[in-house]
Amino acid sequence: MNRKISIVFSILIAGSSLLMVNCQGDNKTKKADDFTIPDSIFKDKPLMISKEAMNDIIGNMSSPVEMAALIKSTGVPFNQKYLASTSKVDKLDTDFKQALNLGIYGCDLGYLNMYEKTGSVINSMQAIKKLADQLRIGHFFDFNTIKRLATNNENIDSLMYISVSSFNNMDEYLRDNNRSDISSLLVTGMWVEGMYLACQVVKEAPNEQLRDRVGDSKIVLSDLLLILKNYKSNQAFAKLVAEVEKIKKEYENVTIQVESGEPEMIEVDGMLMFKPNDKQTVIMSDETLAKIIAAIENTRSMIINL
Amino acid sequence: MKILIKILPVLFLMFNIGQVSAQSDDLVNVCALGIGNATYLKDYKVKLPANSTDAKFSVILNKGTVYKFVVCNAEGYEGKAVIQLTEANNPLVSNLKPDGTFAEAVGFSCSKTGMYNIMCGFKNKKEGAAVIIMSYVK
Repeated sequence: MNRKISIVFSILIAGSSLLMVNCQGDNKTKKADDFTIPDSIFKDKPLMISKEAMNDIIGNMSSPVEMAALIKSTGVPFNQKYLASTSKVDKLDTDFKQALNLGIYGCDLGYLNMYEKTGSVINSMQAIKKLADQLRIGHFFDFNTIKRLATNNENIDSLMYISVSSFNNMDEYLRDNNRSDISSLLVTGMWVEGMYLACQVVKEAPNEQLRDRVGDSKIVLSDLLLILKNYKSNQAFAKLVAEVEKIKKEYENVTIQVESGEPEMIEVDGMLMFKPNDKQTVIMSDETLAKIIAAIENTRSMIINL
Repeated sequence: MKILIKILPVLFLMFNIGQVSAQSDDLVNVCALGIGNATYLKDYKVKLPANSTDAKFSVILNKGTVYKFVVCNAEGYEGKAVIQLTEANNPLVSNLKPDGTFAEAVGFSCSKTGMYNIMCGFKNKKEGAAVIIMSYVK
């Protein structure tokens, strides 16, 4: 009998080890305070939209790398002062603050990578790793590999790939593990920072394509609000929703018109490519743009000063 | 001994979940190497049993960006992934050519920001596993 118990016990230990190998999470317990989002909020209250729809919306958000690439394509040089300071990272003491700011830093990391500012990548990564660890998702960052690639300036494409895929894996893990609240904050932080960077560049060097991207972000904004509103019974979320609503209000004067084109299938470098040739026009006055920029700046300021 | 019989399948399942996850991550890494002169944005993992309906992923694509979709099939499965980019149920581009062969990659030059869908199934509804890498062309 004792032998059987011993075998069962050994198997359980082996099983636990297997699980730990598969999920090398940071088991640090978080300091509980008034601002930590209680799980009950999400478990007890029904979501306005289904979990599947929620995951779908979060998953379909554009990568901040696209915005960074667009900014770089304008020819506007890198500007460190656009980026959020990582000096306050230790003061971010709740899931809410950490997840939002992780999104901000994640977007900044994409901007740094895009301009190949590998020296600053390490500093940024340290803050990201710290926040991710506190949110118990730090195991998705291969910090040593990123540090090596950044230090040696070895392979920017690999650095970009590891950085972006780490964020993607983290987001996927959060959604798969019923932590969509954290995921929605992460995505919101990224979106706000991407918009902030675009707005700063548009302010300094007006560019039609970037201006259009700021304008057509109206399409994404409604989805973003939809996911955040799911959690607005939480006070911190309600405050964030109110901020994002202010941005949405400024977008009311933006009109997006689409004229259908004659689609064509072409071959580019051996790749079959579909070109719909639609013509999308963003109608937005300078005044409206200025108001949108101000609203984005306010929201971003609120997040980084949490 | 009965306990052992009950526990072993659970452990086996736990181990397999880890293995499947690791395999798909490896396939993503390998597949991402094949995107050529493009920058990785997202990946989609699809594993479907035989006779399944297609998997569907929504994605917001941006005007002015050229997207590239590369598909990699997992070893050990008969099914070959067929992807199709659609907008409001209208098919735009697929990796399955009219002659029944597969294109290694397909592109989409987006001229309208909005919601698109990536549909993925396996040819002849066979069982299959695959990874789709979405990237943008520099």
